[in-house]
Amino acid sequence: MSAPSRLARWRNPLLNTAGILVTLVFLFPLYWIVVSSIKTNAEIFQIHQSFWPASPSLVAYSDQLKGELNIVRPFFNSMIIACGTMVLSMCLAIPAAYGLARFELRGKKSIIMGFLVTQMLPPTLILTPLYLIFARGGLINSYFAPIIADSTIAIPFIILFLRTYFIGLPRSLEDAARVDGCTRFSSFLRIILPISAPGIVTALSFSFIFAWNDLIYAMTYMNQTSMRPMTAGIYNFMSKYGIEWNRIMAYGVVLVLPVILIFVILQKYIISGMTNGAVKG
Amino acid sequence: MQNGERRAAYLFVFPAVLFMLAFIGYPIAYNIVMSFQKVDIMTLKSAHRDFIGLSNFREIFSTPVLSVSIVNTVLYTLGCLFFQFTIGFALAVFFNLGFSSQDKLRGLLTVAWMMPSTVVALLFKFMLSPSSGIINYILVAIGVVDKPIDWLISQKTAMWGVIIANSWVGIPFNLILLSTGLCGIPAELYESASIDGASGIRKFFSITVPMLRPAIYSVLVLGFIYTFKVFDLIYVMTNGGPVNATEVLSTYSYKLSFVMYKFSEGAASANVLFACLFVVSLGYLKLIREEEEIQS
Repeated sequence: MSAPSRLARWRNPLLNTAGILVTLVFLFPLYWIVVSSIKTNAEIFQIHQSFWPASPSLVAYSDQLKGELNIVRPFFNSMIIACGTMVLSMCLAIPAAYGLARFELRGKKSIIMGFLVTQMLPPTLILTPLYLIFARGGLINSYFAPIIADSTIAIPFIILFLRTYFIGLPRSLEDAARVDGCTRFSSFLRIILPISAPGIVTALSFSFIFAWNDLIYAMTYMNQTSMRPMTAGIYNFMSKYGIEWNRIMAYGVVLVLPVILIFVILQKYIISGMTNGAVKG
Repeated sequence: MQNGERRAAYLFVFPAVLFMLAFIGYPIAYNIVMSFQKVDIMTLKSAHRDFIGLSNFREIFSTPVLSVSIVNTVLYTLGCLFFQFTIGFALAVFFNLGFSSQDKLRGLLTVAWMMPSTVVALLFKFMLSPSSGIINYILVAIGVVDKPIDWLISQKTAMWGVIIANSWVGIPFNLILLSTGLCGIPAELYESASIDGASGIRKFFSITVPMLRPAIYSVLVLGFIYTFKVFDLIYVMTNGGPVNATEVLSTYSYKLSFVMYKFSEGAASANVLFACLFVVSLGYLKLIREEEEIQS
């Protein structure tokens, strides 16, 4: 057997092994957060680090359920804020994405450019003005404040992402529906939305994750601890329990879990979202 | 018909546009106005505020912290871009070599990009901790350093710590965007280059890099923008410390407004950040337009 073909035979297994190694090294922090959360704090502070706990325990998790800074209320706050953002931004962004994909509008290019630019703005820029608007409307310490603020991140993303998605759909579908007497709006509801389900679910999960991951808006517009989501909660938790790393890591695992779940289910679509929504209009 | 069509278009698009004008457009304008006014805790909620010209800007530029934050923001951004681009590019090329598990593994890496910054920040704070951090443990064990590095605790190394954490998040972003670009390069180009006897390195620099140019530009500009406006990660990892060693424009403007209640100075420094990003964004928009012209 000649050298090149022997190389060819080994190429795939060798590259697969290397690929798996690279992946394991890169994702080590994720392994570490989980392993550390089931260790005792004494074990974390041992001179010799253990890569698997001597006696795995879930105490760091059960501890989260009690005490002043327990995770229960922040978890529900995070859920409400993330779901609220999802609903609000979807109601506004899906029709807009469709409109910008299908209709000729004056100033359409500028509108699209505008959405593109808002994605690049730093949250600190609008932080104080929004605070004043919310204060005037009596929305400080209500769920509406972070929901509105987070929607300003989610809406441009969804519009840019779904617009490319809608452009890709065949026009003949709607034309057929309109011949059958559907109005623009009902063909949008009955034809476009159902066949765009994968794109819409992706956009939904992105808006959920944007809001779920947010810290700055939640901590600025919610000064009552009881209203704060988990991202702000884990920060307070760290300030109070400093180096109880197993408990901080357990908190982190609960906070990351929904994101990982969404990722596992929608991985393929999420990657397309990264390339379509983030890059081009 | 034509009229109905137009009305429908507005009904679809306008609610979102109005929402964004109210909660993004108006606040931006408000922030600019505020940076020329005197706004503190007393006047924050009052309707009448004095215009004081450029005083706020003069004030923030006269303190050394602002210039330190500008320098830090630039260093942080360049440091992150360097690591996430080079490593992301290397991984993109690697996961494009053509082996059976490459798409699955590449996809798995993206999970880092979606993690909440708060958790990434705390996780790296833990892993970088001098006494119990796994990173020091490994570095000492394999003999790279003989005693643990202080990382976030020392002024000299804190910046490296936050750069490492952010690069971990940024690598998958670079990897995915560059991979998409790599897939678009026709295989025949490489084949004909091989027939002409070009080496691997030669092919990389005379085919891969030029063909990837649009993807490289977008990934660098977008990476710049996303990194330049960093807040969560630094706020949680170091809160700008120790002694301003990792203070960036976002964290500084947040502190001015919501810790020191100097709202107008906070607004002024947020506008400095905005101006920097605006220039870069304009460059990016120009780039997109050129690309579209080439395509159409």
